[in-house]
Amino acid sequence: MSKGIKLEGEIRKSILDFFDKTLSNNTFDAVLMPMMVPSEDSYAWILVKDKNLLKNAEPIAPIMPINAAKALKAYTRIGDGKFKIAALMKPCEIRATIELVKLNQIKLDDVTLFSYDCIGALPMQDFIAEPQKKGTFFDKLLKEQTYNSNELKPVCQICDKFSNCASDLHFGIEDKNILLISNSEKGAEIISKMELSADTDLENWQKNMEATASDKKKSRTETFELIKGMIDGFDSLAETFALCINCHNCGSSCPICYCRKCYFDSAVAKPNSDVKMMRAKQRGGIALPLDKVMFHTGRMAHMSLSCVSCGLCSDACPVNIPVAKIFSYVASQTQKTFDYVAGENAGDALPMKEYKLDEMGELGEMVKKAEVQESHHE
Amino acid sequence: MSKLLKIENNFQNATVNFLKNLLENKKIDGVFSFRKNTSNYGLITDVKELDNITPFYPLMPANAGQLFGRFTPMKEIIAVVIHPCEFRAFIELAKREQGSLDNFLFITHTCGGVYPLKVNVRNEINEKQYWTSVEKGEIPENIRPTCEACEHIAPQNADILISTIGEKSNVCEMYLNTEKGVKFAKLYNDNLVEKSFDKENLKPILEIKSAEKEKLFSAISETGLDGIVDIFGKCIGCHGCNTVCPICYCTLCDFDSCNYDYNTLILEKELEQKGALRLPPDTIFFHLGRLSHMSFSCVGCGQCTDVCPANIPVASVFKKVGEKTAEMFDFVPGRDVKESIPVAIFKEEEFPELGE
Repeated sequence: MSKGIKLEGEIRKSILDFFDKTLSNNTFDAVLMPMMVPSEDSYAWILVKDKNLLKNAEPIAPIMPINAAKALKAYTRIGDGKFKIAALMKPCEIRATIELVKLNQIKLDDVTLFSYDCIGALPMQDFIAEPQKKGTFFDKLLKEQTYNSNELKPVCQICDKFSNCASDLHFGIEDKNILLISNSEKGAEIISKMELSADTDLENWQKNMEATASDKKKSRTETFELIKGMIDGFDSLAETFALCINCHNCGSSCPICYCRKCYFDSAVAKPNSDVKMMRAKQRGGIALPLDKVMFHTGRMAHMSLSCVSCGLCSDACPVNIPVAKIFSYVASQTQKTFDYVAGENAGDALPMKEYKLDEMGELGEMVKKAEVQESHHE
Repeated sequence: MSKLLKIENNFQNATVNFLKNLLENKKIDGVFSFRKNTSNYGLITDVKELDNITPFYPLMPANAGQLFGRFTPMKEIIAVVIHPCEFRAFIELAKREQGSLDNFLFITHTCGGVYPLKVNVRNEINEKQYWTSVEKGEIPENIRPTCEACEHIAPQNADILISTIGEKSNVCEMYLNTEKGVKFAKLYNDNLVEKSFDKENLKPILEIKSAEKEKLFSAISETGLDGIVDIFGKCIGCHGCNTVCPICYCTLCDFDSCNYDYNTLILEKELEQKGALRLPPDTIFFHLGRLSHMSFSCVGCGQCTDVCPANIPVASVFKKVGEKTAEMFDFVPGRDVKESIPVAIFKEEEFPELGE
């Protein structure tokens, strides 16, 4: 049974103190953390090198305006730096990071990933509307470790992967204390460099987390039952995405959708006038912009295997379509098909990159059947 | 001199009947119009389907000007019923060779403004209340801020302009401003009279609107970089404002291109100089770049504000900056398709102070 390091003090303060020390003793050159923006109604990802600026950071922000994986991508994708970086993020951001590493968009050579027990985040627009009130409200949730508030983002309310994850080090939260847990060799190195010793039992904390996870799993299953009906067949899909205006904010805010130019924004996906007229004449009339359902089902096919249910898409949707819950459900089904969990393990290959002989047995059977039928025709 | 076609029916039905007439008689091949039952635009080729259109509706799911780029070149003629700012946006696109006006019959109306998309999402569009305000010559409540401040509500260069502001709901006045407009109204030749749209009638509402504009502009601070950071600091970089902008026609925005992918070493240098670095970088740069690329052609449709997930008043900023830039060149976006965009022409007498 592994053990953790107990860090005393208020949650956010002890996390900040920890990183302050890592900068002082040169364990890291810079730390990536959220910081409030000057208008004081949102947060941005700031990579902090100057120790004096660290006090402005907010380790556990009440909202997630940008998935941290995107910040890491912008920093590490091209070239090799010389700085050692620590990045503190939510478990879903760690998962997105792992997926982007597999997709060659992030390099972790100089990065140490830190995660924490995440109660969830508030919807961005709710927070921006009343930053002070919502900020105080979130502080209370955090202090009381409330995991089931219905004011959190809908996708956070049904998240069962909110605790330890594929990070190098994890801040577990137990009774207002923090337990620092090492998950990797990199993590163990940091701990020894910081001259910390792991001597606190994790059993109690683990039990608590498992109990919360099982509650959330239950509401996840219930929610998915409802979502199922929203996307069951073309008519339901058309109705669910009826108000979509094709702004593609969901795609552009999605950490997994890394393509510089989405196929659906390319010239190929924008048929010319002749095609449009032909389609209109076939049915007497067509909706414009075209192919709304196609975009969403296309995106499902392209990225749902790597969807980490961070909910950025719903935060960014101007017409309040529950994109995140829908994609979360679809992802649960596609990932199940390949016995894959996005971002859970850096060692797992992306399902589409790997061919297993025994995979999709039923597909093989279907092919065989089709071949037999074909030969009968001949 | 333009002609007036007066039809004893409310402008909604009169327009539908007018379009049916044109389509039935094969004067046009299709109709582009809003469809209330789908909350979206439609391209209609079947006369029966025209029963389902709502030509005039206070909602703009997309700036139609943006959609028309992909309709040219084409053989068919399409009649389009759109808001003035959508027409003006398409004119700006045509100047940039992103479309041609040739195969369209443009029908627009004196526009009372549209509601933010969120109002429709909440199912709170009250059509009756809206049209009552329009009939009284008032600004309807809760419409887009840039609509409240819009002074381009009656474009004289559209083929057909339908008067709605300050009009009785049981009469439809169609002003045929162009030869094309007159040609397509041939079926109604007996009912045409020589008359131009009288802008005087709009004077009271335009006065209210320019006061609203002053209010809107003064709310956008002019305090240099700090002010800009204050406004755009919470931007999440989704670039939705550019995706829905009818003027931003680039297939790949420069700010999404590899020009802005930095080597870690460059970012490290910046980090060392400043002590901290925002990631992803270039949040403010993107907006400044877009301001300089397109703001002089900004038609103030407000689509960008509506899609901004961080509630940034993008449209107000772009309208303000755009108008000030355009003023320097004596330019009004969407005024005339023959007018070149300011950055595409060089006048020797322009900016003498720069020469000094």
